[in-house]
Amino acid sequence: MTNHWIDIRNADVILVMGSNPAENHPISMKWVKEAREKRGAKLIVVDPRFTRTAAKADVYAAMRSGTDISFLGGMIKYILENNLYFKEYVTEYTNAPFLVNPDFKTAGDLNGLFSGYDQKTRKYDTKTWSFQLGENGLPKKDHTLRNPHCVFQLLKKQYARYTLNEVSDITGTPKEKLVEVYKLYASTGRRDKVGTELYAMGWTQHTIGTQNIRAMCIIQLLLGNIGMAGGGINALRGESNVQGSTDQGLLFNILPGYLPVPTASVTELKTYIEKFTPRTKDPKSVNWWSNRGKYITSYLKAIYGAKARKENDFGYAWLPKLDEGQNGSWLVLFDQMFKGKFEGFFAWGQNPACSGANAGKVRKSLAKLKWMVNVNLFDNETGSFWKGPGMDPKDVQTEVFLLPAASSVEKEGSISNSGRWAQWRYKAIDPMGQSKPDSEIMNELYFRVKSLYLRQGGKSPEPVVNLTWNYGEKDSTGKVKEVNIHNVAKEINGYYLEDVYDKTATPPKLLGKKGELCASFVPLQADGTTSCGCWIYSQSYTQKEGKVVNMMARRGKNDPTGLGLYPEWSWAWPVNRRIIYNRASVDPHGRPWDPSRPVIKWDPVKPDPVTKKPGVWVGDVPDGPAPPMATDNGKYPFIMMAAGVGAIFGPGMVDGPFPEHYEALECPLEANLISKQRINPTIKLFGDKADAYFSCDVRYPFVASTYRVSEHWQTGVLTRHLPWQLEMQPQMFLELSEELAREKSINDGDKVIVSSGRGELWAVAVVTNRLKPFKIGGSTVHQVGMPWHFGWQYPEDGSGGESANLLTPTVGDANTMIPETKAFMVNVRKA
Amino acid sequence: MSEMVRKAGNEEIINHWIMAVSCILLIITGYGFLFQLKGVYALFGGNYAMKVVHNWAGVVFIVSLFATMFNYLREALTYDADDWAWIKMGGGYLSKSAKKAPPMGKLNTGQKFYYLVILAAGIVIAASGFSIWQVQGNRALTQVSHLVHNLAFILFVVAVPVHAYLGTLANPGTFRIMVYGTVPIEFARKKYPKWMKEIGK
Amino acid sequence: MTNRTNKRKAILVTPEVCIGCRGCQTACKAWNQLPGMKTKNTGTMQNPPDLEPVDYNMIRYSEVPSETNPVRWLFVSRRCMHCDDAGCMRICPAPGALFRTKEGAVAFDKDKCIGCKLCVAGCPFDVPRYDKDGKIAKCHLCYDRLAEGMQPACTKTCPTGALRFGDRDQLIAQAKQAGYGKIYGEADLGGLGTIFAFKDAPKLYGYADKPNIPESVIFWHNVLKPLAVIGLGGALAGALLHYVAIGPHKDDDEEVKKS
Repeated sequence: MTNHWIDIRNADVILVMGSNPAENHPISMKWVKEAREKRGAKLIVVDPRFTRTAAKADVYAAMRSGTDISFLGGMIKYILENNLYFKEYVTEYTNAPFLVNPDFKTAGDLNGLFSGYDQKTRKYDTKTWSFQLGENGLPKKDHTLRNPHCVFQLLKKQYARYTLNEVSDITGTPKEKLVEVYKLYASTGRRDKVGTELYAMGWTQHTIGTQNIRAMCIIQLLLGNIGMAGGGINALRGESNVQGSTDQGLLFNILPGYLPVPTASVTELKTYIEKFTPRTKDPKSVNWWSNRGKYITSYLKAIYGAKARKENDFGYAWLPKLDEGQNGSWLVLFDQMFKGKFEGFFAWGQNPACSGANAGKVRKSLAKLKWMVNVNLFDNETGSFWKGPGMDPKDVQTEVFLLPAASSVEKEGSISNSGRWAQWRYKAIDPMGQSKPDSEIMNELYFRVKSLYLRQGGKSPEPVVNLTWNYGEKDSTGKVKEVNIHNVAKEINGYYLEDVYDKTATPPKLLGKKGELCASFVPLQADGTTSCGCWIYSQSYTQKEGKVVNMMARRGKNDPTGLGLYPEWSWAWPVNRRIIYNRASVDPHGRPWDPSRPVIKWDPVKPDPVTKKPGVWVGDVPDGPAPPMATDNGKYPFIMMAAGVGAIFGPGMVDGPFPEHYEALECPLEANLISKQRINPTIKLFGDKADAYFSCDVRYPFVASTYRVSEHWQTGVLTRHLPWQLEMQPQMFLELSEELAREKSINDGDKVIVSSGRGELWAVAVVTNRLKPFKIGGSTVHQVGMPWHFGWQYPEDGSGGESANLLTPTVGDANTMIPETKAFMVNVRKA
Repeated sequence: MSEMVRKAGNEEIINHWIMAVSCILLIITGYGFLFQLKGVYALFGGNYAMKVVHNWAGVVFIVSLFATMFNYLREALTYDADDWAWIKMGGGYLSKSAKKAPPMGKLNTGQKFYYLVILAAGIVIAASGFSIWQVQGNRALTQVSHLVHNLAFILFVVAVPVHAYLGTLANPGTFRIMVYGTVPIEFARKKYPKWMKEIGK
Repeated sequence: MTNRTNKRKAILVTPEVCIGCRGCQTACKAWNQLPGMKTKNTGTMQNPPDLEPVDYNMIRYSEVPSETNPVRWLFVSRRCMHCDDAGCMRICPAPGALFRTKEGAVAFDKDKCIGCKLCVAGCPFDVPRYDKDGKIAKCHLCYDRLAEGMQPACTKTCPTGALRFGDRDQLIAQAKQAGYGKIYGEADLGGLGTIFAFKDAPKLYGYADKPNIPESVIFWHNVLKPLAVIGLGGALAGALLHYVAIGPHKDDDEEVKKS
């Protein structure tokens, strides 16, 4: 989330698209309700199904799964055509005026492709996706937005094709409904109106997932809704701490704090920093990522401690590296496992046998392992895969170990919510039986692996044996007896390893004393004098006037702005900023666009508490202390962007600087109605027969989506064991329209068989008017939906059903590789 | 002592008293329920105990009632012209002066009617009681059962005292049948002439 | 009816803001330690299909026609209404089995319940259920929580305020202020303790326009109860009268002699 949960209440229009908060984030609806009751806010829900969220909507629009870009592209066109965008915001705070390379061609020019596509490699050469630079090295701009090469004009060109007729044909949404939604949402293009967007897996789990979100970012920038209270683009995270795990480097391609994982060709720290540090010649751009070198160096110091020295490049060589172009994401990982490339596997807090797309393939892959360690609260379909359906235990050689883990209430630590709040929580009860907190399991594992390396050597022992592990009192062998989670939190926050001075000041000013916890990421150094496990979390466990303070444990209820920022409640990254890009909530002079909800505002008279000079920001923690943009030392608002402005033109994407509608890999259409390019041209295609996919195939004629319901959680390992939850949702079901049910002679409550190119399963038919067939390009397309909470293992009598992921395809988003489980093709028949 | 005729066997007498006691218990507890009579609840040792007494007294009562069928059912279903005459003169209960009643068998018409009514009402009250006791989750049935149970109850509280009166004060000399089972032969000849003929006395 | 309107507490149900998450169902089970029931999906989200001895409250899902949308999907809480003029309390034969809490709720004491199910017959809303021991089971407004200064488990859990607990008068005033013209249960049956802010006719939400105590209970109360007294009294009085006025039965002695 750019904003946070409570902030939803500050919105005037709430667009729920790509999510179903009433079912999956019920508490958010409290704030939606407040916005509606107190501000008269309107709720728009766009979803293929009439969900429990849709039941609360002021405007509901049904849309065929996988056509969000078309829907949003139509909105962009509507906003531009009707001059509903926030002109000053767009010209000052976005790259709309930037002139793009004249050789750049939009997907409108090239029938669905952008310039630079290579059919053979299925990749773009992004050379033309660049800005024209002036003599001063800065991008050329046209603030009148008239230059045909400026981003604004290109945007117009790109979406000129997204007419109401075209969009309606693709999405199946009636034209009047489109206009109703567009009009209502575009009403937030005024400075005194703000709209927010809530999305989740409904947007991400597509082959065009990242671009779905990009499309909305463009809209939010056009309407001036980023940085505003009640605005932003808000990812509702699907697990209580998934934000935290991503922050701390869960993904294969990022280190903690969103530092890229180096590739093998980048052999030196210097090269790494050069390669991954964006540059700008614009003095008004903060370009915060220019600090990359400080963060990576402090990270290396945090993990390798004294072993990381200037002479050995701070141990950079020990960091694991990806091969050039290597993709270590979920689908690839299991594909490799399927091909027998893995010996062992830790399934840690997950249940891939049910959660993984194309779960049948996942289950077969597990059988190719020599060993698997299942770390979980309960045994699950993954740990017991060898005795699951279609498995003959005699044929499975995989040795499976179950390490019982403690639940969240049985351990202390922090969790980070979608609003980036890191909240400390305490242990309520001791872990049951032999179960242990994850940290203890890791501790055991670490010292055993380390001692093996020490005793037997190995190919590359340094990354393991050189790790610091100061997490508690050590026994005579040097092993940590018990992990003190506070030590971990402190390591993440970072320490001054020497007395650190601000050398730009005269005389140099002491920033922090050796041994103390860092005050924030601001004093972090690239010379090895500071350590920090995750720079964005620096300040979370800090030292104030010599006293150690766990900021995450704070429970102050002050709300000085009245906007629900609650700055003394827990702690939000970065530096307790509650709404990021908040410098975009004020005009270039620092005056709030909407004085009725000022996130921050520039007080030119009040002295800065540090510099004692007049002029200070009041309100939320601003995106940097620099004075407003229009003043002498003023800075642009989007400090994380090299250009300092919001990116309507986004050359960082692999599949185009503008979102373009492509059909899902499996779709009901023979051709994309808007271009010749049916599917996202840059997605990775898996070739095994187990990955088979079927588009426009009579065998699988219906569009399907998987989703979650409020009564269960993820693969149901936590909820299927709970009789209370099972009572409410006891069985796998399939939602289908009355029209389709009639066609197939299916009655409400009948058992049906759902099949796809990958597998089949039974489900109970829920026949409902909440799903309606779509008219797509003149023909009828049926949409069905099912939850993915069930699995063969529990309930033990098999009454629950199987995982919907037996049906989903092995294909992922072009940018992130998140599987496309929201749009694929199935068949349905009466059992 | 004059010659005695055995009108009721020992098992019949015992059964009658079982029925009588259970019936009285049911009526007392029934009133206790109906009017939430705390004294009655206390007498039986509280809500639960009283409920148990009522339910099981009901079981005893209905079993006992069924057992009477061996004794009375055939007789109660046999009618002739004398019964009609008996009805017309109200069994002779409606006038102070002695009137000649038509000759009756072992049971007079009134007794036969009474028996059939009690048998029917007993079955109804037992069935509805059993439904209240054992059936769950059928609101309509529960509602009907309670209604029927109450109606039958009213019938019982009217019929039973009348029966007791007729068997004691109203017909001196009758009560001993339910104690000794025998009546003097003259008494029997007067009351049950047809029956006496049948058995040749 | 007792005079307690001033202190009376209530739960205000506002289906318009209910998101059907059923936190209330689970919270109720957690607090009252009610086991889960084995159910089946019958083609609807609604489960259990109706109140159960182990489900004191539930959400009813109904899909009704809508002018603008494919359907209008209603989520309506169902539980004991805590009527002021409570059919169950009128008819319950067991002293103390049903009792009125000081907040105005109809609560129960399983130890005193005799399992007669008269409350089932007497409830206008078909609420009371019987557990496996044959004892009444229904919402009791968490009077055990109220005693400790807490609010009921369901209202505490409700994320959107679709279920709100408070002073009955205040809740009614607030709902009216929020634009709900009529509050269902404001005056019905002497005033309900579970009141509803409905946007449309109660029927749409599955509630009778004018809830009434079943006729059988009224009949029972007004006719059968007096009749039971009159019947017994009449029989006894009749016998006495007969004894005095007519006297014991006399037969014609001639008859005996002849035979």
